[in-house]
Amino acid sequence: MSTRRRLHRPSPVATTIALIFCVVWAFPTYWMVKSAFTPRKDALTTTPSFLPLNPTLANFETAIFQAGFFDNLRSSVIVVTGAVVFAVLLGLFAAAALSRFRFRGRRQILVLILLIQMIPGAATLIPQYLVFNQAGLLGTYTGLILAYISSTLPFSIWMMRSFFLALPAELEEAAQLDGASTWQVLTRILFPLVLPGMIATSVFTFINAWNDYLIAYTFMKDQSMYTLPVWLASFSSPLTGTDVSGQMAASVLFSLPVVVFFVILQRKLVVGMSAGAVKG
Amino acid sequence: MAPAGIVLAAVTLIPLLVMVYMAFTDYNQRSLFTGEYSFVGFAQFTGILTDPEFWASFVRTIVFTAALVIGSVVIGVGMSHLMTRLSTTMRTVTTIVLVFAWAMPNVAASLVWNWMFQPGYGVMNWILTQLRIFGDMTNTDWGADTGLAFIAIWLLVVWQAVPFIALTIYAAETQVGSEYIEAARLDGASEASIYRLVTLPFLQPTILLVTILSVIWDFNVFNQIWLVSKGGPDGSTSTLGVFTYITAFVGLDIGAGAALALITALLLGAITSVYIRNLIRSGEDL
Repeated sequence: MSTRRRLHRPSPVATTIALIFCVVWAFPTYWMVKSAFTPRKDALTTTPSFLPLNPTLANFETAIFQAGFFDNLRSSVIVVTGAVVFAVLLGLFAAAALSRFRFRGRRQILVLILLIQMIPGAATLIPQYLVFNQAGLLGTYTGLILAYISSTLPFSIWMMRSFFLALPAELEEAAQLDGASTWQVLTRILFPLVLPGMIATSVFTFINAWNDYLIAYTFMKDQSMYTLPVWLASFSSPLTGTDVSGQMAASVLFSLPVVVFFVILQRKLVVGMSAGAVKG
Repeated sequence: MAPAGIVLAAVTLIPLLVMVYMAFTDYNQRSLFTGEYSFVGFAQFTGILTDPEFWASFVRTIVFTAALVIGSVVIGVGMSHLMTRLSTTMRTVTTIVLVFAWAMPNVAASLVWNWMFQPGYGVMNWILTQLRIFGDMTNTDWGADTGLAFIAIWLLVVWQAVPFIALTIYAAETQVGSEYIEAARLDGASEASIYRLVTLPFLQPTILLVTILSVIWDFNVFNQIWLVSKGGPDGSTSTLGVFTYITAFVGLDIGAGAALALITALLLGAITSVYIRNLIRSGEDL
């Protein structure tokens, strides 16, 4: 820190540019929050007011009691939980195998996983739709969970593998000398040590599944089983007219858990995104 | 490994094989119910490759992706350098602003955009009108004009893409050896030439990495286009992804959609292989 400060003294020009940048970049977020707290009747004015006058919580009430919020929140919680649990557990065992055991074809499997990870979501959507249609999984939570597992498992394996690689081999050797079985080495020694990796991977899976709009929009036909992004996007039906204030309040509520995770995990995200964690 | 392998195969590899197979059939809405379809072979691909609409969206995708990548990488690299010149407080503020823009789910961001650019009441329409450069834009309908729709979507995607790039490059920029910069300064180099001759070469691999990732991500931008313009007016803002989606799920010509998806996957596969080769060369131990 101190060396850098000496190398690059803060310059007033840079500070001015940064201030302008911050105002521009923060504006959409500010506008969302501001609109969410503005009474509905004040929202549609020809001259917008930039300060939140008469702030109100009424829009949040509207959003929450809007048809379907609790149903769709439940859908989101079910599929996100399912996706996180399975992607992390399956990823855990696969990562253990791919980092702790040497076997033929390991390198090929790793490259394959990386390739699968890079396949655009839109490309797997069509065949998944067909396969799930045949299997009767369209419009079910199971189908949606499977779709999310397929989009997050490759990364989950890749990420947890890096945590396994960071553990010294002496740990297992010592346990084995003490007479521990392979299973005991895994569950008693290795798994507790990669817990931070499991938590980080869970967060990534959570963000991916929570934010997904396209798959849920395509697969789920029953409105009561929509997930929150689909609920949010269809918030204003042509019949009831656009309630911008309610929509912005809903957007704030929906974004909140993700924003909290981002703020906490900002540093890890920079590394994780480079490995393709969050699909664009 | 075994359970994960089976699940991965079931949910990824099998659909991929199905996609390749379906790309050669005329699978459509009727087939979804009856299961009947016939094999059309390469006629599918000649059909697509002679369709002017395909080429229009192909060119559109390339140009739009280029515009997005250049915009976000240039602004991101610039911001990263700017952050090295800020006081700790100002840098923290900038980081928080960046993280907030980055974190907003793109469905929510698209709705915010629709609201900011809404004809009649949109705050951007109001601001642009006040600038008195473009005339009265109060009632401008951004979604109804191809150029304006692209500008709005470009702003939206770049707004959310810059934070990752800026923070990644900044993380790399803090690793530049201070002795090189000091030596260059002692030799009387200007700040601009220090950046060009010392910092940039050091950042080059990271910039390449974020550029490749940006190409992959921007090529696949879907939600923002779908929610802001639906690919309209008249399909004039539909990129390959939107074109594929409309073919498969609105026109329910699933065979042709699969063929389009296959073409897209092959295009991206070519870009991805560059990325993977890079990753392996950079010493990732497999």
